[in-house]
Amino acid sequence: MSTTAASVHDPKYQKATYVFEAPVRIWHWLHALSIGVLCVTGYFIANPLPSLGGEASSHFLMGYLRMIHFIAGYVFAIAFLVRIYWAFVGNKYSRELFVLPFWKGGWWKDLFHEIKYYAFLTRKSHKIMGHNPLAQTAMWLFNVLLTLFLIFTGFALYAEGLGEGSWADTWFGWVIPALDGSQNTKMLHLLSMWVMLVFVVIHIYMAIRADIMDRESSVSTIMGGWRTFKDDQP
Amino acid sequence: MASTVTANGFSLDDSGQRVVVDPICRIEGHLRIEVNLDESNTIRNAVSSGTMWRGLEVILKGRDPRDAWAFVERICGVCTGVHALASVRTVEDALGIQIPANANHIRNLMMLAQYTQDHLVHFYHLHALDWVDVVSALSADPAATSGLQQSISKWPKSSPGYFRDVQNRLKRFVESGQLGPFANAYWGSPAYKLPPEANLMAVTHYLEALDFQKDIVKIHTIFGGRNPHPNWLVGGMPCSINVDQTGSTGTVGMVWLNMVSDIINKSIDFVDQVYIPDLKAIASFYKDWGYGGGLAGKNMLAYGDFPINANDWSNDNLMMPAGAIINGDLSQVYEVDVRDPEQIQEFIDHSWYKYADGSRGLHPWDGETEPNFELGPNLKGTRTNIEQMDEGGKYSWLKAPRWRGHAMEVGPLSRYVIGYASGREDIKEQVDGILTDLGLPITALFSTLGRTAARGLECSWAAHKMRTVFDAMMANIKAGDTSTANMEMWEPSTWPADVKGVGMVEAPRGALGHWCHIKDTKLANYQAIVPSTWNASPRDGAGNIGAYEASLLGTPMANPEQPLEILRTIHSFDPCLACASH
Amino acid sequence: MAVQETFYEVMRKHGITRRSFLKFCSLTAAGLGLGPGYSGKIAHALETKPRTPVIWLHGLECTCCTESFIRSGHPLASDAILSMISLDYDDTIMAAAGHQAEEILEQTIEKYDGQYILACEGNPPLNEDGMYCIQGGKPYVEKLKHMADHCKAIIAWGSCASWGCVQAARPNPTRATPIHKVILDKPVIKVPGCPPIAEVMTGVITYMVAFDRLPPLDRQGRPKMFYSQRLHDKCYRRPHFDAGQFVERFDDEGARKGYCLYKVGCKGPTTYNACSTIEWNDGLSWPVKSGHGCLGCAEDDFWDKGSFYSAVTNLKVPGGAESTADEIGVVLAGAAAIGVAAHAAASVVSHMTNKDRKEMNNG
Ligand code: HEM
Ligand code: HEM
Ligand code: NFV
Ligand code: SF4
Ligand code: SF4
Ligand code: F3S
Ligand SMILES: [Mg+2]
Repeated sequence: MSTTAASVHDPKYQKATYVFEAPVRIWHWLHALSIGVLCVTGYFIANPLPSLGGEASSHFLMGYLRMIHFIAGYVFAIAFLVRIYWAFVGNKYSRELFVLPFWKGGWWKDLFHEIKYYAFLTRKSHKIMGHNPLAQTAMWLFNVLLTLFLIFTGFALYAEGLGEGSWADTWFGWVIPALDGSQNTKMLHLLSMWVMLVFVVIHIYMAIRADIMDRESSVSTIMGGWRTFKDDQP
Repeated sequence: MASTVTANGFSLDDSGQRVVVDPICRIEGHLRIEVNLDESNTIRNAVSSGTMWRGLEVILKGRDPRDAWAFVERICGVCTGVHALASVRTVEDALGIQIPANANHIRNLMMLAQYTQDHLVHFYHLHALDWVDVVSALSADPAATSGLQQSISKWPKSSPGYFRDVQNRLKRFVESGQLGPFANAYWGSPAYKLPPEANLMAVTHYLEALDFQKDIVKIHTIFGGRNPHPNWLVGGMPCSINVDQTGSTGTVGMVWLNMVSDIINKSIDFVDQVYIPDLKAIASFYKDWGYGGGLAGKNMLAYGDFPINANDWSNDNLMMPAGAIINGDLSQVYEVDVRDPEQIQEFIDHSWYKYADGSRGLHPWDGETEPNFELGPNLKGTRTNIEQMDEGGKYSWLKAPRWRGHAMEVGPLSRYVIGYASGREDIKEQVDGILTDLGLPITALFSTLGRTAARGLECSWAAHKMRTVFDAMMANIKAGDTSTANMEMWEPSTWPADVKGVGMVEAPRGALGHWCHIKDTKLANYQAIVPSTWNASPRDGAGNIGAYEASLLGTPMANPEQPLEILRTIHSFDPCLACASH
Repeated sequence: MAVQETFYEVMRKHGITRRSFLKFCSLTAAGLGLGPGYSGKIAHALETKPRTPVIWLHGLECTCCTESFIRSGHPLASDAILSMISLDYDDTIMAAAGHQAEEILEQTIEKYDGQYILACEGNPPLNEDGMYCIQGGKPYVEKLKHMADHCKAIIAWGSCASWGCVQAARPNPTRATPIHKVILDKPVIKVPGCPPIAEVMTGVITYMVAFDRLPPLDRQGRPKMFYSQRLHDKCYRRPHFDAGQFVERFDDEGARKGYCLYKVGCKGPTTYNACSTIEWNDGLSWPVKSGHGCLGCAEDDFWDKGSFYSAVTNLKVPGGAESTADEIGVVLAGAAAIGVAAHAAASVVSHMTNKDRKEMNNG
């Protein structure tokens, strides 16, 4: 029987465990909130609201939308940096987001089991302390890769406004030619928003579903940090 | 081949010495001319080969018809805007869009400004050096030049000191040894006939015209945002007019309208006081150089343009009339129907293309553009090092357009002859005037010189017509109409599923047509037949030669090593090869 | 061969006084965005340097870069051509033709090996052995490579030479290829735009002649002095953008008031060029000022980024259709939502049948 870090079938693990430490939980909700704000403001940057009348000097609608977007962008990026830091100093679950243990056979087995479970091919979910491998993969794809992509493209676009030679241009300016120009970069940034939304929809569903149907706690875990189990079968 | 007579009645003989001129410089794009000379160095065979192709018609397939103008505008930056106009017209025609009166006026104004600038630049910067010997200007007497200038025009820049300054500038330039664009040319050739004073006057105006031309196109900048390549719009024009409300300083308002009016006045002055007098002065020394007629004396075509009232294409409403003349019979001006599949067709027997169905002529609505680079069996050289073209095979990137099977000449001369034959008073007056001044019969028009003269007359006509159009537009605005675009059919959801359209423009170089087929809101086919396609056309399957080829026949060359005579006649068409092959 | 003249000598010979020469230098300095201290340097450089030979080649193009060049107001094209540089070859304006014209190329290589500037308008096609652009019976790309071998630096005029431009738009039937992808061993200064602004063109040349060095280039090889800002950064309609005031349709009320053109497709926010600052035709206007959005004509591949009338870029999706990121996104997010709903329903059903079975087993 394999023993991957996350998947445990030993009854001694059936008792409540502290999985998500406070910084992870705070980050989770900051992350979620900033994405929400970024999506709404971003959408209206791409597709502005109907025009306002009167003098230009009496309105600043796009200006505010952009400003809020940039503030949320900073929150989003800095929170992610802190989260990366926490992966080094936090508990072992704090690293699961970043490290997929694909070199372990059991991880793959659990992954296929999870896929079968969600495809209704098997009835019983494995009990898992941290993330199940399927969730973990999704988490990594959307919350590490896609998040980084949004941050890099976002700050590259931001650098265009700050101008040649600015700190953002120095760090992120190379992204624009690498992605084939400004317009493409913007388009990919926008497209990433939609991809992120796909994750959000599925993620929230999965979280609530898990809470109802699976044998371990879910929403309460990301709220309070403790993983609890509903039965003590393996 | 040795000696033959073509379907359109020209004798060809390719037995003598072959002379190749490649590149033909002072034109737009890439053109190669080959001729055969007889023992007396007279041209007996001529081959016109367009040597570039970009594939715009292929690139346009599947695109949004509203974007097409920007693509086709890049067919040419010299006649900038004309393809864009043809494009918005073809899309409007397909979708049945009526444009507002102001849009029509603005388009007319922009096109007339284009004529004025394009013709001016052609005469001084692309054509003049065929007639004007820059080096001879060095030996002119500035006082005599001043006398000459003052005797032919009231242009104020005419003092002896002014001409002396230019001459000194020129002298030192030549002495510097860095001759730039004037190096290695044919100065001193006996083919140059102007006295030094006339040469100095012309060289001076070469420089003046170069500085002035950039002001004419500011009319494009005002209505289209820039030049070259101003902006256009399906349904009208993108520039809003606002003369009296908030924001009027940011749109077409009083200041810009004043500027347009001012540019029109200056253009009229320059053309009438510099270009036309120079043209007459130079022509008077070359009156006996009567070569270069070719198709001009036979077949001429114009689609007509400059509608006085918007959306009305009847000949009476066009400031420049449409028509076709066949076999030099000026008593009969034929009606031209660009929609008729029997009238306009393109052939590719000698062009680097292939049709799905052999070599039948295709009307542009059924047109095909598939490149097929293959060379004739009698080629001299190799596939990538052509020493001598085989005109018996394929030899050009141009298709061969024909009207009812006839090779046609298009351009200012065709327009003027058709206008003259149609009894247009404004044109008759100009033509009769210059013929009387030079003491020449009307038949003198059918020549290199006639082509060059017609362009000059048309430049003046266009400058004056700008005034007429501007005044009409101001009257319309005064009457309260400021609309510039009809946006009712802007959304593709409002479009019919399957429609065809055609847009015609009289471009500076002649009759231009764009044909489109819009299917499910995208371009299923897009075809252009361009003025220089007509004129520089290769042979067709029936053996008709094109206008460039025909015009060179019978011309004696003073020195086969120096292709001055070829340049003269070819330049008189104002070739644009990027246009021609597109 | 006559002695080479300096730029200043030529200007003096042309009857230009020292005072107006210095004025020209300070205008040039200002035009290049340099401080007043630089005008002395420019004057010094022009007084002591011979006129730089320039070879101007044309590939697949529309010649509007040349047309733009001759619209330059400061300096006038006539002064640039006759006095600042020595334009030794340019088939669009040179007096000679045929082999007399082509001889000049070899003479230039002989006299000025490694010293002349190669100005390229248009680009070479590579398909069909290059025979989509034939010059002197041979593929243009040969001439280009030959002249590039001996030049000092290359200026890639316009979007054709810099990026490929219209003939390189999908499906690029001739495989028209920008200069920097054909010439790999020489510095290439990209001056994009379709065409570039006249004063940008003469400005780049003036800079190179005056300072005898290449202009500082950005990451994509464009002179920073003209291409480091987006039109949007300096657009006079920008206050309307920030306020949320847009032209919704051409010739509407907003259009007459000069509102922002973003919603009718302006690419100013993603286009690097000097239109909104230097403007066109003696600083008279520019596309946005005339009421039409920017097409993005100085950007790589601007032809294939979707409609000129939508600010949101088109994407090629498998199957050949084009759609915007928003259209794709709505489909993706919608599919996710539907998938989730279906999965939820299936879960409920599965849960019930599971329970039934459990109950049966128990009972
Ligand atoms: C923009 C929205 C959201 C994003 C991007 C997001 C992202 C994430 C990430 C990255 C984790 C993993 C945390 C880690 O391991 O460090 C996570 C966990 C979790 N999230 Fe979210 N979240 C979002 C919204 C929500 C919402 C609204 C809920 C509640 C309904 C929720 C419930 C959960 C739960 C229950 C977990 C723990 C999963 C587990 O038990 O393994 N999330 N989320
Ligand atoms: C979840 C993360 C993010 C989402 C969903 C998001 C979404 C969007 C969207 C939809 C747009 C409009 C694109 C268009 O006009 O086509 C946009 C623009 C932009 N975003 Fe983001 N964004 C995110 C993160 C960021 C970050 C981290 C930054 C960094 C500061 C950022 C900076 C920008 C900038 C500068 C623009 C361009 C604004 C403008 O041109 O006016 N974004 N974003
Ligand atoms: N031929 C041609 Fe054009 C013109 N005039 C186009 O229609 O030059 Ni470029
Ligand atoms: S860059 Fe544009 S304007 Fe210049 S030659 Fe190419 S197509 Fe013409
Ligand atoms: S008009 Fe274009 S460049 Fe100007 S502010 Fe609006 S989007 Fe930006
Ligand atoms: S279309 Fe080109 S000319 Fe300027 S405004 Fe846009 S970059
Ligand atoms: Mg065609």
